[in-house]
This record gives sequence, C-alpha cells and structure tokens, in this order.
Amino acid sequence: MSAEFVHHKNRVLILAFIFSESIFFAFLITAFVLYHGRSPDGPNAHNTLEPVKTGIYSIILWASSLTMWLSEKSMMSFRFEHCKRWLEATMILGAIFLIGQGLEYHGMFARGISIGTDLFATTFFSTTGFHGLHVFIGLIVLLIMRGLTGAGFGQEEYQREGFLAASYYWHFVDAVWVAVFFILYVWGTR
Amino acid sequence: MSEVPVALPVLRKLERFEKEAGMLSWLASVDHKQIGILYLITALIFFIAGGVEALLIRTQLMFPENRFLQPDAYNQIFTMHGTTMIFLVVVPGLLGLMVYLVPLMIGARDMAFPRLNALAYWLYAIGGCLLYFSFFAHDAPAAGWFAYTPLSEKPYSNLQGMDYWALSLLVIGVGTVATGLNVIATVATMRVKGMSLRHLPLFTWMSLINSFLIIGAMPALNAALVMLLIDRQLHGNFFRPAAGGTPIYWQHVFWNFGHPEVYIMVLPAFGIISEVIPVFSRKVIYGYAVVAGSTVAIALLSFGVWAHHMFAVGMGHFLDMIFAASSMLIAVPTGIKIFNWIATMWGGAIRFTTAMWFAVAFLLMFTMGGLSGVMFAVVPIDWQLTDTYFVVAHMHYVLFGGTAFAVFAGLYYWFPKFTGRMLSETLGKWHFWLTFVGFNLTFLVQHNLGILGMPRRVFTYPDIHAWNVLNFISTMGAYLLGVSVLVFLWNVIRSRRRGEIAGPDPWDAWTLEWATSSPPPVHNFDYVPPVRSARPLWDLKHPENPDWQRGGRTRAHVR
Amino acid sequence: MHASSVLQAHSRLDQPIVHLTIVVTAIMFAILVLVFFLVVFASIRYRSRAGMPEPYQNFGSKKLEITWTVLPFLLLVSIFVLTVITMGDSDPPPTSPGGADPSPDLIIIGHQFWWEIHYPKAGVTTANEIHLPAGQRLLTRLEAADVIHDFWVPELSRKMDMIPGTPNEIWLLADHPGTFLGTCAEFCGNEHAWMRIRVISQSPQDFTNWEQQQSQAASVPNNPAAQRGEQLFRTMSCANCHAIRGVSSAEVGPDLTHLASRETLAAGRLENNPVNLEAWLHDPNNFKPQSYMPNVNLKPDDLTAMVTYLETLQ
Repeated sequence: MSAEFVHHKNRVLILAFIFSESIFFAFLITAFVLYHGRSPDGPNAHNTLEPVKTGIYSIILWASSLTMWLSEKSMMSFRFEHCKRWLEATMILGAIFLIGQGLEYHGMFARGISIGTDLFATTFFSTTGFHGLHVFIGLIVLLIMRGLTGAGFGQEEYQREGFLAASYYWHFVDAVWVAVFFILYVWGTR
Repeated sequence: MSEVPVALPVLRKLERFEKEAGMLSWLASVDHKQIGILYLITALIFFIAGGVEALLIRTQLMFPENRFLQPDAYNQIFTMHGTTMIFLVVVPGLLGLMVYLVPLMIGARDMAFPRLNALAYWLYAIGGCLLYFSFFAHDAPAAGWFAYTPLSEKPYSNLQGMDYWALSLLVIGVGTVATGLNVIATVATMRVKGMSLRHLPLFTWMSLINSFLIIGAMPALNAALVMLLIDRQLHGNFFRPAAGGTPIYWQHVFWNFGHPEVYIMVLPAFGIISEVIPVFSRKVIYGYAVVAGSTVAIALLSFGVWAHHMFAVGMGHFLDMIFAASSMLIAVPTGIKIFNWIATMWGGAIRFTTAMWFAVAFLLMFTMGGLSGVMFAVVPIDWQLTDTYFVVAHMHYVLFGGTAFAVFAGLYYWFPKFTGRMLSETLGKWHFWLTFVGFNLTFLVQHNLGILGMPRRVFTYPDIHAWNVLNFISTMGAYLLGVSVLVFLWNVIRSRRRGEIAGPDPWDAWTLEWATSSPPPVHNFDYVPPVRSARPLWDLKHPENPDWQRGGRTRAHVR
Repeated sequence: MHASSVLQAHSRLDQPIVHLTIVVTAIMFAILVLVFFLVVFASIRYRSRAGMPEPYQNFGSKKLEITWTVLPFLLLVSIFVLTVITMGDSDPPPTSPGGADPSPDLIIIGHQFWWEIHYPKAGVTTANEIHLPAGQRLLTRLEAADVIHDFWVPELSRKMDMIPGTPNEIWLLADHPGTFLGTCAEFCGNEHAWMRIRVISQSPQDFTNWEQQQSQAASVPNNPAAQRGEQLFRTMSCANCHAIRGVSSAEVGPDLTHLASRETLAAGRLENNPVNLEAWLHDPNNFKPQSYMPNVNLKPDDLTAMVTYLETLQ
C-alpha cells in the first residue's frame, strides 16, 4: 500500500486551515463595515485611527512576508544558514509589528477607549486583537521552526513541507492584515 | 513505495502499546479506529442524555397547563436538548464514522494527522462535559440552541449558562474544524495507489465534501460565539441595540453557520445510504457521478440559503425572494439523490437486513422532511408556519427520520467491522419497528399542531382540545421511541459479547474496509487489493465482469 | 379556547397565503405519494429470493438523470412564481395617498411577556387586546422593548418579528367582526408561552365607540372600598410599574386605565372576571411563573379592595 501524495499533507492541511480562518476574519471585518458610522459621538475610525503611523508598521509586517519567502526559498534549496537568518529577520519584523500594535492599544487605553466604549471600539479591538493573536501564534510557530532548523531539520522532504506550511501560515497572517489595514484604516478614515 | 519514514516503527510501537495497555490504551490512542469508536460511544452517551431531555419536554407537554416543569427548567432542557443533539450527538457521531471508515475505505493506515485526530476528539469530549457542567452551576443555558440576541445577552440571561454554552461550543467547534481539516488532508494525500477521485467510495466522497462544509461553516459559529462572549464578558456592543448594534447581525452570522450545519448533519448520512442501499440491493450505485456531483452542488448552495431562517425578520421582499430561490434550488440536487437511490434498488435483489430496513425507511422519512422543507422556501408559507410545531416536525423528519435512521443503518452495517460480531437481526427488527412507529407517532402529528397555530419553544399551552389530543399522541410516541433506544442499547451490549462472529466480509460488500479482518488490525491492511474502480472487492469477486470494464473512461484508464 | 388554523383566513390579505399553502401542500403530497409508491414497489418487487444470481449491474442512464433534474426544477420554478405573486398580495408595502411615509394607525410593542398597544391617532393606550374596525386595514408598526418577539395572528396575516431597534410594519385587517387569537412566535424567555394575542374585530361604529371610551381618563372610584383600593394602588408598588391615567404613569407593565373592559388578564392567561382577578393578584406566580409581575402579598381585605377598585376601571 502506498499513498502517492502523502508528502503534501502538511500543505493541504494548512491551506484548508487558512480557508477556514479567512471566513472567521470575514465576519469580524463585516461587523466593522456594518457598524461603520454608527458611533458618531464616541471614538470612531476618523478621530481615533492613525493610518500613517499604522501604515509604517503595516509595511514592516508585509516586509516580513518577503523575508519569510526568502527563508522558505533557502530551505527548499538546502541553504539552511540562509534559511535561519531570514527566519530570524521575519521574527524581528513580526515582533516590531506587535510592539506597534501594543503602543497603539496603549494610546487608546490612555484616552479611556476600551473594547466596550462604543461600536467602533468593539469592532476595532475584536478584529485587530484577533489578528494580533494570530501574529503572536505565528511568532511561536516561527520560533519552533527556528529551533528545529537549528537542530538539523530540513533534510527530509516531509520536514521541508512542514516548514512550508508554517511559511504559508505566516503569509496568511500578513494577507489578513492587508484586508484589515485597507478596510479599517484606509476606508474607515477616508 | 513512498512512506513517511517514521510511520512504520511508530505503528509497531502502537500495536505493542495497544496490546499491553489494554483499556488504558483508549486514553492515549491516536489510532483512528479507537478514536472513531470513542466518538461513537461518547455520542451515544450524549444521545441518551439528549433523549432523556426530549422525554422531559414531551412529559411536560403531555397535558395543557401541566406543572411538571417550571418555565426556566423547561427552557434549559429544550436548549440543552437541541445543543446536545446537534453538537454532541449528530455531528460527532458522524465524525466518528468518518474517522473510522475513511482511512479504511481509501486503503490508508490512519488519518493524515493521527495526533490532531486525537486532539479533536478530546476537545469534543471536554467541550461536551463543559456544557453539561453548567447544570452543576445551577444554570444551564436557556436561550435556545440558536441563542438569539439580545435574549442571550447579559441583561436577559445574566447567569453563567450562556457563557458555558458559548465556551463549550467554541471548544467543540475548534475540534470539529480540526477533524474537517484532517479528513481533507487524508482523502487528498493518503489514498492508495489507483484510487482516483472517481473511485472514491461514496461515503468517502460525502465525508470529504462534508469536511469542506465544516471548515467553511464552523468559523461563522466561532465568530458569532466570540462576538457574543465579547458582549457578555467585556461589555462589547456587537448586538446591543442601545449602542447602535443590531441583533439581526447575530442571526446572519449564526445561520451562515447554521444552514451549512444542517447539511453537515445530513451529507454523511447520504454517504451511509449510498453504501448500504447498493450492497443490500446487490447493485452498483445508480449514477455514481451524479450522486457525488449533486452533493458538491448541495455544498456550494448551502452557503447561499442561510436567510431562509429569517423570512419573519422583515428583511424586505427582495432579499426574501433571493433566498427563496436559492433554497428551492437546493431541493433539486437533493431530489436527484432520492431518485438515484430508488433506481439503485430497481431491478436489484434486495436483502432486507435491519440495515436495509433503516435505509429504506430513511428514503421515505427523509423525503417527507425534504418536502416539508421546500414548503419553508415558499416565503408566505414560511411567514405562517415558521416558529411553529410544523418546523419541529420538519426538522425531526430531516434529522431523526433522515440522519438518525441512516446512522442506525450504518451501525447495523458496520458494527461487524467495528467489533468482529454481528448485531442481532431479531432485536434489530424490533428496534427498527419500534423506532419507525414511535418516530412517526411523535412527529407526524406535530405537523398538524403547527398548522393549528401551536408555536414552538413553549413550556405549556392553553387548553385547546385539538392541541391536547395531538400533544398527548406525540408524547406517547416519544415514550415508544425511548423504548426503541433501550432495545438498541441491549442489542449493542449483548452482541458485543455474544453476537455471531462476523468474519472480514459478512455482507459480501465491495469497498476496501471489508478487505481486512473484523476488527481491522492496528495497521489496517496486510494487503490492499488493487483499486481500479469504486468497487475494488466487486472486481476481485467478479473477474468476469469487473466494474472497470464498463464505461469508456474507466476502460481507457486501465489500458 | 379554539385553535387558530393556518388554513383559515379571515382577512383578504391572508386568503392568498391559504390558497398557496393548499396548492403547495398538494404538490408536495403528490411527490410524496410517488416516492412512497416507487420505494414500496421496488422493495416488494425486487426483494431477493433464494438462489437468485447477482442482478444486472446498471450504472445509470443520462436520460433519466436529466429527467429527474429538469422536472423538479421546472416544478420549483412555477412554485417560485406563485410565491412571488402571493408575497405581493399578502404583504403589500405601506403606502399613503401623498406618497409620503405613512404614519402607523397602530403601534404594538412586544415586552417580556405582554403587548403594549397604541392607537397614536386616537391617543389610546391599552395592552394585550387589539381592537380593529372590520374591513379596514390598519398600518401596524411592530417594535420590541427588550428582546425579539414575534407578532402572529394566523387567521389574519403573516407573522412578523419585533426587533429592538429595528421597527417593522405590516397591515392588520379582519374582514368581518369576530375574535381572532394569536401568540408570540419568537422564543423570548420564561413566559413566552403566555404571550397570547387577542384581536377583536368590531363594526366600524363599535370600534369608534370603543376608541372613544378608551381615550377617557380612568373613572374616579365612588365607593369607599374602591377608594381604598386606589389608595393601595398608589402606595403599594403597583404604581411603580402600571399606568392608570390620572393616577400613575409608569410604563413598565401593562396600562390598566381600562382594565375592566378587557376580556382577559395577563396576556390571555385568564378570563377577566373578579374571581380570576383576585386569584391573579393573590399569587401571580401560580399562573405565570417567573414573569415580572410580583406577588405584593396583599392582606385579604386589601385584596378585596384592590379588586373592587380595578373592576371600576371600565
């Protein structure tokens, strides 16, 4: 007995997972769009969000997709040292993004804005919070990958496929942020 | 040929472990067969709990103005009944069949991700316990399984029941998605050589499509639950009218999950029927490609019909019409299947085993549920009949007359594979007839109750003669149904120990799970026969007339 | 009490729905009979007998598959057309002669677990029982004060949800005088079962008289027992929730200004007579457990006084 495609199982799993997670985010983002403009008096996208500042952090996050892609390419061509370096770069960029988000939240808390303040705050914190959580989980996954590559991971095909799966997940997290940034920060503040 | 390098030693270790650890092996098992059985047993336990709740409901409704249950207790019980049957019985029961059978049917050793499989089961088991723990916190959820806001929000459900409900469904939901992903990966990558998608057994086809439904629908529920929890625990505003939020958004998100969920609970049942009817009619499934293809159509359409649960919300005629059209459309691929199954029986040599009795009854009962379902796509009829007992009748014809009958058919069919012993046919016939009569007695009259204006989810009702009579009949039917479950349990317990020895292939069947011993060894197969069609064992048994010699494409494939 | 059948219409708006229901049910029933016949026939005709060889393996027929795809499809298309026509006939959009947004003739607000009823044009406020002039359709606005409720009187019109923050509108019409029963049809909490609706259709003359009488302030009690009852109503917690025009103006519970003129108590729970009223006040929980009407523990003679007073509120 033999299965011909078993090596691809990680890839199939992660792609299906990404499909599933996208739908989760779609409903949170829809809530923001649906309720946009229903908080005229309290904090809202116009008087609270700073698209330029967050834009810079966004570019940093998207840059991490590039470094992740380079890391993945290195892994696939057996250049494990390159792979590790690019992976580290990815993690640093991801961490900077999270710090940026932390600072943004901190500023809002300081102005007394929390998740229950009004509809904008509820939808904003829910959407960005869950995205932040995904970035954080991504960082843990990358950390594990870094540990594994340090221990000689990547010689076998199924190991490289596993690495690819982690990489896909990271790209997905960045792609969600494209939607979040352009809907919440650009469309929301236009 | 190409194996995952670590798989073999791990499997050997597993085999030794299962032998030495005995009962304990069940706790730590990552074997898809043990996990499948765990799913089935856990679902059976919750089925008994949900059944007791149903009997309490029917006892309260036996007489008008009955004082057997207080309203809050009644509301908790009907909420728990619905939640239990959907999330803790039907879906995980079907998942149990899926994880047990899919690897066997495709000639694989296990699921693609055995540990993920175990994790998913344990999430379900723990989530189920979490839900039932709410009783010990003196406050089971009481806002219905659909938990419409704002009734389910803090101001109107201020105790912890709703929080238990939301948390447990989140836990279970994550597990369900994990299994969906796992089945997809398994079918996509673990099929034995020769098993193209055109050769998948139909149960596997349905399981695969079902898994796509799961991973597409559950995130909507998870999103809804997260929003509800944010509202309840963090003073969020998602569904708070006072802050500008709209309770209708909950309904949209919930039914985005809720309607595909209906098909999640029905597609594997279609799969079971598509295995059982051919084997006992001794005929190949009629229109294999159509049966599989119509399921894909159902799955796609099922994401576009959710708002037919909301015709009474006042969405406006335009939206009502769109969802009426899509909901009517989905009846077409469903009807196709019924006719294909009948055509499979046509000209066959039908063996009326208990499994076949249940399968034939499924055809009749599910058709009734399906046709009354079409009536709800007719918007003005829905305006009158939604939220009445007519809906209760309709959905029980789909989920009990449909899914439960199919699952019973499947259990009588595969029990020999699971245990190595046959279920008693004598007890099986008793079980069947008690179920059939009890079920129709309980739910047929509920159509009339709905037409006579009885709303659903009421803890009691005024003294109206026609209602009194029909409710009494319904309750008697429910008790009979309760007895039928006892007969089934007795059959399972008795046959597990003393049933007739089954052998590898007691039904003279055609799919790969019957090509190995009953129960299968940990590694599933010593030898997988060549797969050149959807019925590899037929080909093996009928070398003079194999399936792959029929139909142009298959023949070309072999040459 | 009698059941209100979905298959009976007492309004021109509901009539098309009844016709459609009968037609569609007949079609569904015919299909059901066909499937039953095919299944039962196949089960009997093709059951296996001893020594039977494996039957001919028929893989399918394109022609038949197309037949049972296209025929149901065409049938559903025709049902869809009937659906669309009936939707327009039974639930016409709100219109006004000038084309402006029409103002509602009737506002019904769902509460846990009773109905607040306003006739804004006549300035009438009442509860639980709706009076209609026979043959005249009233534009009815449906609102909710707390959770989602649903207004459903099967023999008069479609059901329609009452959603907090999102008002809905329907036309309410009874063709002739009579009493029509309905109920809350969306699960709304503990006493969902006892949110019954009573629609009383009257001749236009009777309706005008009723409106006239309901727009009066409450009658002033003129005997000592009733006066003591009114005093109790003010001093006990009653006035915190219930309005009696001229006495109190709270809006938490039903307006009681003309309580004695109603046919039932507690949203259709009890027939309205002095004995039931006394029993209800003595122990509301006995009749509507876990509703928001508290037991105020009236002493026996206070209870009599209270009933005497409330019975004067014609």
